[in-house]
Amino acid sequence: MIGRHPRRRLVAAIAAALLLLLAPRVLARGMLNDIWSVAFAVVLASAWNLLGGLAGQVSIGYSAFLGIGAYTTALLALRGVEPYATLPLAALLGAAFSFVVGLPTFRLRGPYFTIATIGVGEAVRVFASGVSFTGGSSGIRMPPASFDFALNYTSMVVLAVAVVTLAAWLRGSPFGAALAAIRQDIDAAEALGINATRYKLAVHALSAALVAAAGSLFAINFQYISPGSVFDFRLSLSIVLMPIVGGVGTVAGPVWGAIVFSYLQIKMLSVPALRDSYLFLYGTLLILVMLFEPKGLLGLGKRLLRALRRPARVANGA
Amino acid sequence: MHELLAVVVNALLAAGLYATMSYGLAVIYGVMRIINLAHAGILMLGAYVTLTLYDRFGLDPFLSLVLVAPLFFAIGFVLQRLLVRRLPSGGATPSMESLLLLFGLWLVLQNLAYAVWGGDTQSILTPYTMRAVDLAGVRVGVPNLLVFVAGAVCLLLLQLVVKRTNLGRAMRAVTQNRDAARLCGVDADRISAQAFGMGTALAAVAGGLLSTLYAFTPDFGRSFLLKAFCIIVLAGMESVVGVAVGAFVLAFLENALGAFTRVPTSFQDAVSFTLLVVALVVFPQGLPHAFRRVTPRRPALR
Repeated sequence: MIGRHPRRRLVAAIAAALLLLLAPRVLARGMLNDIWSVAFAVVLASAWNLLGGLAGQVSIGYSAFLGIGAYTTALLALRGVEPYATLPLAALLGAAFSFVVGLPTFRLRGPYFTIATIGVGEAVRVFASGVSFTGGSSGIRMPPASFDFALNYTSMVVLAVAVVTLAAWLRGSPFGAALAAIRQDIDAAEALGINATRYKLAVHALSAALVAAAGSLFAINFQYISPGSVFDFRLSLSIVLMPIVGGVGTVAGPVWGAIVFSYLQIKMLSVPALRDSYLFLYGTLLILVMLFEPKGLLGLGKRLLRALRRPARVANGA
Repeated sequence: MHELLAVVVNALLAAGLYATMSYGLAVIYGVMRIINLAHAGILMLGAYVTLTLYDRFGLDPFLSLVLVAPLFFAIGFVLQRLLVRRLPSGGATPSMESLLLLFGLWLVLQNLAYAVWGGDTQSILTPYTMRAVDLAGVRVGVPNLLVFVAGAVCLLLLQLVVKRTNLGRAMRAVTQNRDAARLCGVDADRISAQAFGMGTALAAVAGGLLSTLYAFTPDFGRSFLLKAFCIIVLAGMESVVGVAVGAFVLAFLENALGAFTRVPTSFQDAVSFTLLVVALVVFPQGLPHAFRRVTPRRPALR
């Protein structure tokens, strides 16, 4: 098992991070753009997984945090602030908004919480399209400053590596154990003295801050944002799908999910026939995962490995 | 005073529709402990099927409900047999798996609508779409009035089925205690499929009604799903009357917001969510409890 060798895993992670950071010296811009998209997806999926996977609170309203990050950066940049300097504030605002969302909705459990978060996403999008300081539904363009892709690429890769490392560390920490207890049986966890609401709020804030930071980098990279792009329901949707398809609650699952999804997305954008059927693809994937392998690609991979290693025992066990 | 009357009348008319679509969600929840996210997709599909019946065969949207309801009952029945039944169920609280499965189904339905009807905004224009009549001194659109009547008829029929027929009795029994119902010889599995069909039919009927009032796209239905959810959270799901009252409260607040404040109408869709949040803050224990009140947790008898 990979998970039993933390040191080997750490070395692999550092090697991967170094390779990615050195990639701009070798690879073409188009390829780097694709890596940027994958890193962006990894941040979203892994950050969502902190709340959705570790603590088991499935939220379909994460585009709200992404949008808040993006809008913070864009609005401040328009007032002359250096875009990268707005990153901490974007993260902080994302975390602050997570309390606004979490305080009422964490009173709901399981699927009720999930539906309420759809409402959060909708309310924020309606608000951002309706008020004037966000530029309404036509969105805002960042000031035409010199745009540095290399810096954005590096930031996104560093953020992605940081989120995955954080997720791995959190999962093994006492904090992660408390979250796992909440996921498995919230009543039992509270009986053991875990303040479930406080833990949920804390991990929600953490994951919202990370998503908001990614949103900030998103705004810098694309230079133009609108409620239709950053507050889109489909965005919330793919943030949920990536970890679930990859393997919810694990560290590697969301990463695999993000890689598969961004690859599909890049492929699909280049094929017109597929561009119109991505919802079908997402939906079918979700149905298949739920029916046949709730542990996602990672669970499927493990099952295949086990079947390959011990064919005799599998035959007996089945 | 006249403005208030107008708001009340309009809210009452909208409530008939809201109650129809909420009750579809409530029936499925009650019998199967499933939150049907595909509800939004069925609403949307109901609207498109009504549109097609109108465009191709010139069938009046309100008459076509007679076709739409049994068609979607069958669709719901089959969906339950093919998909929903394969998931573990019967717990006291709904499972995340079923929620996500039906979420996937919703996406597939959306894509289906994009493929069949395209992404353009559609609407149904009947000869009476623009007509209005006087009702207690308030100008009311004819379609709004017809939608209310159709919604009310649906709810009355439903009430009759639930209270007077064996199917209704069996459904209530499964809702109250699935295991006890099975011990009494109720085929809970078949009742579940029928309830899912019924909920689907109600959603499609509500979608057909919506199509006479609003323009729609394949993306349509999400805000109505939230409204329905808000209503059943507020009102509980024990009775048709409770759902109707919840529907009226929401419709009243939405209409009042438009009539008495300067808040732009585009914010109207946020009312249901805000109401939900306020209710949650004010009655912290009350609402999840309202969901669970229907059945206490029992060990499975197997």
